[in-house]
Amino acid sequence: MIRRDRLVTVALVAPATTALLLLFAGGLLGAVRQSLEPGIVGGLGGSAWSALYHDPSFRDAVRFSAEIALEATALSALIAILAALALRRHGTFARSLFALPVPVPHLLVAVIAVLWLAPGGLGDRLLGGLPVSLVGDRAGIGIVLVYVYKEAPFLALLVLAAMGRSLAEREEAAAVHGADWPQRLRWVVWPTIRKPLAAGCLIVGAFAFGAFEVPLVVGPSYPPTIATYALQATQGDLIRGQSLAAAALLVAAAASFALAAAVIRLGRGLGE
Amino acid sequence: MSKRRPFTWPIATTAVALFAFPLAALLVQAFGDEWRYPALLPQRFGLRGIHAAVASGAAGEALTNSAEIALATTALALVLGWPAARALAERRLRRPGPLLLLLALPLLVPTYATGTGLTTWFIQLGLADSVAGLVLAHLTVVLPYVALLLLPAFGPGLRDLEEMAMTTGAGPLRRLIHVSVPASRATVAAAALLGFLVSWSQYGLSLSVGGGIPTLPIVMLPFVRNDPEVAAAIALFFLAPVFLALLAASRAGRRVL
Repeated sequence: MIRRDRLVTVALVAPATTALLLLFAGGLLGAVRQSLEPGIVGGLGGSAWSALYHDPSFRDAVRFSAEIALEATALSALIAILAALALRRHGTFARSLFALPVPVPHLLVAVIAVLWLAPGGLGDRLLGGLPVSLVGDRAGIGIVLVYVYKEAPFLALLVLAAMGRSLAEREEAAAVHGADWPQRLRWVVWPTIRKPLAAGCLIVGAFAFGAFEVPLVVGPSYPPTIATYALQATQGDLIRGQSLAAAALLVAAAASFALAAAVIRLGRGLGE
Repeated sequence: MSKRRPFTWPIATTAVALFAFPLAALLVQAFGDEWRYPALLPQRFGLRGIHAAVASGAAGEALTNSAEIALATTALALVLGWPAARALAERRLRRPGPLLLLLALPLLVPTYATGTGLTTWFIQLGLADSVAGLVLAHLTVVLPYVALLLLPAFGPGLRDLEEMAMTTGAGPLRRLIHVSVPASRATVAAAALLGFLVSWSQYGLSLSVGGGIPTLPIVMLPFVRNDPEVAAAIALFFLAPVFLALLAASRAGRRVL
């Protein structure tokens, strides 16, 4: 009976596991293979990694991607907490309106950003000139704004779901015991929301670090993000561009793995 | 405690205005045939953007390709994700960690990275620049989302219903079609909807694996800085399923939120 149960379990998980191992792990292996390709003119495999290591624009791309990911995640998390605290006593209508950007694709949000923030755009027309340039700016403020617009509602939904209905009762109990508002926030609300918030921040941070449709539309021509660096490599260097792109993208993938490991460790720490 | 704090209304209103209002501008831009600076509204409304979007293939071939790929990917993800979600939700695995990690990692790693690697194999297999190749590539991210979203479908209630059906003599397939899927239709619908949207808006994988197959994101991007009216018109086609998703979510939200 136990043996049959085990067979059923294997049969249940095998299709999805096989598909993901073939596609995801196979994809990453393909990227490794691509990064070690010698290129049309021959040469040693691994020259793409060496070129990447010595390329100052790749270092700029790593720094720029990390800055964007960090700023976008921190700002989104802060806004999400404030919004969730404000919206938790409101009905479905206000929550649904606030959550409107969640299903909207990133590329569309980038289009909306250009519409509003580009020179001659709606923001420019409404204010008679924008004080700072937000589309194509070297600091990446436009990119961060797009991510915050898209991700803050996503994180707020996670936080609201974690808050649930029981949180109000527990807050009430804490208030009865004399806890003031900051104390309730620190000792009742924060422990309830920190784990889903950390998981959400991991997804947002990893996405902002490696995605490229938003930097492509809203970002500057220099510095590139890692993904736009990879795209430019395939377009600008026909001989070893593909290898260079694969190597650069593997760095972004490795950073995502590291980030995931860090958040899992942090999660265990938070759970203790 | 149960009283509403007075300061939450302005914050909620500001949040709603900041996040909902910018979307409405797309509509004006898509039909603004003549919109000279610094006017706040177009001088002339028309259908130039829509006509150009149709002429570019966005409203025909790209729309069809995107829909076909998203539908096929979602269907495949549901078929593969349902049993895996069931095994996870019913705690059949002694160590679920590795499977959960395998489901989570494709969502964290840049899709362009996975796509670039897949391309090298797909070229050898003749799958590059094909709809089948794109479906398989999109499955890398759609399957984890669908499987994870299906987890809440498998509670004790469903098990009881299935056992009742079994006692009446229903076989596994009949139980699945007539009991399991209808009983968890809200969760299945949510998973299918999100899976569809993830595939529908996929750019990195589509560019790397199937750059030659026009899909809506691929067709739209070049217009963004060159002709915003056409980009906005294509964006409206792009937004159509999103609105359907929002409608469905707001109906479900009456119960969930």
